This record gives sequence, C-alpha cells and structure tokens, in this order.
Amino acid sequence: MQKQPNQMLWQGVYLAVVIIFCSVVYASSKHINYNWNWQRVVPYLINTEPQSVRAPFDGTAKVSTDDKTLTLVPDAGGEPVVVKKFSAISVNDGDLIFEGDQVATISNWRIGPITEGMITTLEISLASLVFAVIIGLFIGLGRISRNLAIRQLCITYIEIIRGTPLLVQIFIFYFFIGTVLSLDRFTAGVASLAVFTAAYVAEIVRSGIQSIPPGQMEAARSLGMTYVQAMVNVILPQAFKRTLPPMAGQFINLIKDSSLVSVISITDLTKAGREVVSATFAPFEVWFTVALLYLVMTGALSWMIQHLEKKLAASD
Amino acid sequence: MHLQNAEDIIIAKDVDKIYPNGCHALKKVSASIKKGEVVVIIGPSGSGKSTFLRTLNQLETISSGSIVIDQVDMYGKNTNINKLREHVGMVFQSFNLFPHKSALHNVMMAPLKVSKRAKSEVEEHARALMKKVGLAERMNNYPSQLSGGQQQRVAIARALCMKPKIMLFDEPTSALDPEMVGEVLDVMKSLAKEGMTMVVVTHEMGFAREVADRVLFMEDGELLVEDTPDKFFHNPTHPRLQRFLSQVL
Repeated sequence: MQKQPNQMLWQGVYLAVVIIFCSVVYASSKHINYNWNWQRVVPYLINTEPQSVRAPFDGTAKVSTDDKTLTLVPDAGGEPVVVKKFSAISVNDGDLIFEGDQVATISNWRIGPITEGMITTLEISLASLVFAVIIGLFIGLGRISRNLAIRQLCITYIEIIRGTPLLVQIFIFYFFIGTVLSLDRFTAGVASLAVFTAAYVAEIVRSGIQSIPPGQMEAARSLGMTYVQAMVNVILPQAFKRTLPPMAGQFINLIKDSSLVSVISITDLTKAGREVVSATFAPFEVWFTVALLYLVMTGALSWMIQHLEKKLAASD
Repeated sequence: MHLQNAEDIIIAKDVDKIYPNGCHALKKVSASIKKGEVVVIIGPSGSGKSTFLRTLNQLETISSGSIVIDQVDMYGKNTNINKLREHVGMVFQSFNLFPHKSALHNVMMAPLKVSKRAKSEVEEHARALMKKVGLAERMNNYPSQLSGGQQQRVAIARALCMKPKIMLFDEPTSALDPEMVGEVLDVMKSLAKEGMTMVVVTHEMGFAREVADRVLFMEDGELLVEDTPDKFFHNPTHPRLQRFLSQVL
C-alpha cells in the first residue's frame, strides 16, 4: 500500500514557514528602528473625527429652544443657514458670529483618501473590464475570420498592443489621443487599460473558440443555423466556460495594472497611498495597507469567478 | 445522362471534389435519390463516402458538378444554404450534441432559433420525438450523463425536430459500443418505415441488407456499384465489390 503523507505534519510546516516569514519582516523593521504605528493609517481609511461646522458669513446665531436647530442669520441680509444633526454646539443663542467661526461639530463618518482611491481603482477597473471584454470578443472573433483583411487587422492590433509597454500606451492615450479627442484623465485611463486588456482577452477568446471541436459548428450549421447563430448559441457559451480561468487571471492583472494610471494624475489607490505616505510618514503601514486592499479586490474577483465556474460545471 | 425525375429529391451530377492539398476525394460522382428511398453507401475507409454525404448539405463544398436538393440547385445564385439545410437533417459519427444544453434543449434549440416556431409547439414536438427515440425519461439529462447510444438517439431527435425532408447519417454507429448499435439502428429502421428519405453511410451490412432500397459502393472517390441490396450482396458482379464483400462478410 502506498504510504499516506502526514497531512497534519505538513500543515504544521506550512504554518511554521508563514510565521517565520512574518517574524523576519518584523525583526528587520525593528533592526532599522522603525516604529510601527498602524493608528496613523486609520483616519485615511475612515475618518471618524468630528467635523467642525464653520460660519460662512458674519451674522447672528439663533439656537432653537429644544437645542436641536441652529440658525445662522447673515448681517448682510439673505437666506439664513440652518444646521441640524450636530453633536455639539459651540455658540449660544444670540451670539455674534464671524466668518470662519466654528459654530458646531458634526460627528459623521467620512471615507478617507485611501478608500476614495480604492473606489476610483474599482471604477476604472470595472469600466475598462467591460470595454475590454466587448472589444476583445470582437477582435478575437476577427482573429479567426475567414476575411483576410479583418484577420490581419486584428493580428496587427494584438501584436502592437502586446508588444508595447502599458505605461507607454497610457502616455500615448493621454497626451496624444486624449489631446486630439479632448478626453479627460479618467476616460483616457479607462481607454488605455481597456485597449491593452482587450488584446489579451482576444487571444483568450480565440483559443477558447478553437478549443471547441469543429463538430459543434458543423452540427449547428447542419441544423440551418447561420454562422452568427451558431456562434452565439453553440460555440460562445461553451468557449465562455473554458475561458473563465484564463479570463480570471487577466482581470486580476487588469486590477493591478490600473495602478499605472496614477502617472496621469488619476488618484487611484496607488496614488492615494503615495499622497498619504507624504502626509503621515508611515510608508510601511500605508503600503502594506494598500497591498492588502489590492489583495481584497483581486481575491473577491477570483472568488466570484470560481463561484461562476462551479455553477457552470453543472453540465460536465 | 440522368433523367430529371420529379420524384428525385436528391440529384447529384458529376460531383468532383479536389482538396487544396491536391487530394482528389470525389471523381464525377452522379446519383439520384427518390423521395422516401433509403440509400446506403458503403465502401472502404477513405473511399469518399462520407465526403459525398457531407456535400449533400454543403458541409463540404464541391469543386465542380451540381447538386439539386428538392428542386433547389445548391450552388444556384439565389440559394440560401441555411434555408436548404433546415430540410436536410444530419446525424454525425461523434453525435456532436451541444454539451451545455440538456437533451431536450438540444432538440429544441434549432426550431426555436432558426425556424422561430412557437415555444410551446416546439416543446411538445421535442417531447414527442424524445419519446419516439425512447428517451422520455432522460430529457433533462445533459449529454455527458447519457451513454453513446442515448446521445446518438438524441442527435436523431434533434435533426428530426427541424421536420427535415431528407436525413443524412454519417456512420451513426461507428463510435458506439457494440451493445448500443442495436438501439440506434432500431430508431433508424422505424424512421425508414415511416417513409423518410435517408442516405446512410455505414459499415452495418445487416442494416443495408434489411432496410436499404438501394446500396451504393464507393471506392477511391468513385461510385462503382449501384444496386438493390439483394443483387448487391448475393450477386455482386464488380470484382472490386466482390473482394470488399469477401473481406467484410
């Protein structure tokens, strides 16, 4: 009988290696006298500090009898400003106020710049993913077209895009195409990422379609379907399932590649991280946090695609 | 010279097929098949019999000659090949069921997407056909959950759901385990009895003898013999056919 490997032992070895690695990281930071201060990062994720409400003009404060509304009446005339839902009030009824005075504080949660950057990263990734899939699908289909002109155009597209660095493409999109078509930063960033990813998606689509046995197309055509009907109803649904694992990899790359758009001054997660580092002087904590947030996004995507794969495996 | 008979539903004339690599697959093959006739094509492998069958619904194009299906010239200027294929069902050696759809949906797909028939009518028709091929219980199974024989019967039902005038069978039992050949041949026999026009490429000599109205013998791209099964099997005159039969029987 074959000897069964000791699962417990190797699980233990795995944990030991991970723990040793983490302690090495910690020890080396101690070695350079780095003071870990995770607290400093938190306000840049979620800001729970009470915000002060300041008077927008010179005038008089009026506090309602139940202490729930504060009305600021301007001296110069005009609409009074009403403040509600404050946590603390710093003026009394009838007080004179001057522009810029703190009249009350509001305690509400605000998202910090890192979280804002993460949202921007998500927006850019999602928008470019949708366009990349659409462009990639058509380029992939054109890549196997029987029409020589279409086929060669698609091959040229794929070769040019795959043969040049994304960073250079982003610059070209922003400074050349963006100027010609007067695109804003966000559009230029999304466009360059979509065009870049589409070239890879196209190759995945092509290999997916070519992995379907030719008998499937023949069967569909023999039933009277047109080429397009056969593609839509028979070939692409099957190819879709097979391309999910490589697509997942490509989409994860897309999320990570989106960090490059920070070079055209889009405040994505990476750029937000850089800004926060210069404000906090806590580079280790910030960059670890940024890395963790990328990992959360890619991990969630990877999990969703795995889930989809399992669902589609019903017919296997 | 073939006489153009109104009863002839398939008329192939001087069909030549040369592949781009120079392989001469069909050499001046001419054959007419009447409505309701069951024609079996036999021959050694590489004889061009499957190629000829596949030209009858243009899965293979021809280099020269002409093919007329149900009064429609297949290579005519205004011929819509998709329209023509709707009436020519085909059953493949490797079944080619759509693996991402259940058996019933395999059968229903083309009538819904191509013929745009009403869903309720198509479903009723598909269920009746599944029952006819003996698979009423397995309608909701995916192809991967069916045996080879069952898959091939679904494939026959799928072709029949388009209400074809002609059925082409390309070695329908060659990929099957021996004990499953019978169930597929039984379905084909009942189809023949109902008067379906059938062209069958097969190695099942028993089926040819029992069901065929005519048997064609092809070798090396040429149609050598065309005869009734009785004469074909019991009184072969062509020396090449004699040799072939002595090897397979």
